[in-house]
Amino acid sequence: MTKCLELRNVTYRYEGSRETVLQKVNAEFEHAKVYTIIGESGAGKSTLLSLLSGLDTCQEGDIYYNGTNLRSIDRDIYRSQRVGVIFQSYNLLLNSTALYNITLSMSISESKIKGRQAKKQAAYALLAKMGLDRETSHRKILELSGGEQQRVGIARALAHNPDVIIADEPTGNLDAETEQAVLAIFTRLAHEEGKCVIIVTHSESVTAIADEVLSIQEGQLSKLRRG
Amino acid sequence: MYLITNALKNLWRNAGRNILIAAIMLAIITSTVVTLTINNAAAKIIDDIRLNLGSRVEIGQDFMEMRAAGLDGRTDSVHLSIDDFYAFATSDYLRKTIFSASMYGWSNTFCALRDDPSNPGARERGDGQGGIVLDETCKLISTSDPTTLSEFGTLRHITSGRMFAELNECIISEELAALNGIALGDVITLQGAIVTDKHYSLTVIGIYADFTDEYSNFMFMFNRPVSENRRNEILTSFATLISAGWETSYGLHIRNEYYLKNPDHVRFYEQEVRSKGLPITYNVAINQAAYDKVTGPLSGMKGAAFTFMVVILLLGTIVLALISFMAVRERKYEVGVLRAMGLARSKVAFGILAETVMIAALCLVLGLGIGSAVAQPIADNMLEERVAVAEAEDAASGLGNRVLFAQGQMQTNDKAAGYTPESEIQVRLGGEVITQIMLITLALTALAGVIGVTLITQYEPLKILRERN
Repeated sequence: MTKCLELRNVTYRYEGSRETVLQKVNAEFEHAKVYTIIGESGAGKSTLLSLLSGLDTCQEGDIYYNGTNLRSIDRDIYRSQRVGVIFQSYNLLLNSTALYNITLSMSISESKIKGRQAKKQAAYALLAKMGLDRETSHRKILELSGGEQQRVGIARALAHNPDVIIADEPTGNLDAETEQAVLAIFTRLAHEEGKCVIIVTHSESVTAIADEVLSIQEGQLSKLRRG
Repeated sequence: MYLITNALKNLWRNAGRNILIAAIMLAIITSTVVTLTINNAAAKIIDDIRLNLGSRVEIGQDFMEMRAAGLDGRTDSVHLSIDDFYAFATSDYLRKTIFSASMYGWSNTFCALRDDPSNPGARERGDGQGGIVLDETCKLISTSDPTTLSEFGTLRHITSGRMFAELNECIISEELAALNGIALGDVITLQGAIVTDKHYSLTVIGIYADFTDEYSNFMFMFNRPVSENRRNEILTSFATLISAGWETSYGLHIRNEYYLKNPDHVRFYEQEVRSKGLPITYNVAINQAAYDKVTGPLSGMKGAAFTFMVVILLLGTIVLALISFMAVRERKYEVGVLRAMGLARSKVAFGILAETVMIAALCLVLGLGIGSAVAQPIADNMLEERVAVAEAEDAASGLGNRVLFAQGQMQTNDKAAGYTPESEIQVRLGGEVITQIMLITLALTALAGVIGVTLITQYEPLKILRERN
């Protein structure tokens, strides 16, 4: 297995605060594996995901993506092409349709899928995998339920075929059936397509699919179980 | 390409906010089109007037200086020869010169209107000192340039024959011709009424219909001398008038007009003519009062339009800046999401700018259309009001400029008398205005865009999303 992401002595504190959220954290995330990170609220799980997804930078230490320091990588390209992020609160374009959220993500990432129609078809297929039909695909995000929005968020994260999939409580609003379908997709992406899937969760069913389970406690990341 | 598509879609997605921005932009652009068109049209007319009236120099006698010279016993050269005037007309400062002169005439071969038709030439009387005085019955008016007879084409029309061109040709009114049975080709004879040794034999080469007032001058409202009846005017060339001899001090009223190439060169021109011998008893001046009177309403309207435009631009810009600021702040979340998706700052800024440009382009087209449609009626209305005010002021001050003489005749000191304020303006949307409006729109767009871009560059996606969540 090759290293996909690596944290070396990562320390993070919020702006204007002396208290460290993460304290000299060292960790490795490999391709073709599903990781789950658990921990109490406020332990720093979401912060860790923000650092891994290139949305934030740590004050000390470094994060490496495929051996390259993230500090030397264009963050916009990293976020748009290498990482797919599923936010806890979805963070979708509310006035746009589900379909447009997906196709726009493809355009931003300069996806290999070229042409408007091809992108649409790919987006329909992706949304269908998430259990969203065409009619729903054409509805604005504001008109969708929480669960539907979450599914659109997942589809968007996968739309540009990223190397790393980072998810913050991705199944919190899903019914059991959809949750299982989504988890199956994550597992398949990791095991069959070699993606690195990192999931922050409180859900035992999610933890159950993990190859490795990590825990954050008092600013430190530790392995709980190896798959 | 997707950025443009996204921007286009955003126009509809955020229709409410964009309509507000568009309404403000449209108001600014339309108002600016109207004010700029009026301003430019007025400026052009004023420039034209300045090039004509403002560049028209008259060399006239300075009566105060003449009086002073008389009292001092100075015999300054008050008599100018025609050669002097021709010398004054030869200057690099001038683009043209029009020589005009008039004198009162008397004839015993034809009757003037309102004269005693049974006894032409009866206005001959003793001067009380054993001499004979001829009461003038007509006025001989001459010019070196017939095209400057401005009433031709409006209130006067040649109905038969043509305009005078050669020596000893003249044109007369239909009434004068009918009264005396004069036909084209007939020769009329007359002499100077005051300087009686000037004799003229003029061939009537044209007859014109005259719709001017018989007595248009306020001075003759009480006393209506026959010679001041406009139907009795005999129009001829300057060369014809001076062919009978040159007298400037007596009987001949000279009114030469020297047109400067540059209206600002009047002082230089004066220095030149002084060096050519023009005595101090003569003035060299443009008719500032007439210029001010003619251009007054236009200048007022131009000033008002300009002030209005500045106010609109200032207020509009402030409002637009605030709305743009609020609009981008309102879209903070959207910016955060796009940035989180990996869309570069510059591309987000480009998208916002593209939306503003699209709104501005639409407003520009609409603003130019609406502005050009309403500019003319607004200009007419503004000018009409200002002309009315100017005329009322003129009427109020007019009596003060008139001096009542003992015999009941009125004399005017008003140098602007006879001039009327410019009361017509043709407002047209020209290339210059379109360019100016485009530049203003560009500036507005840049302003709105800069505000958006400045805000966007300050936004960190995670911070925005955290705040939102």
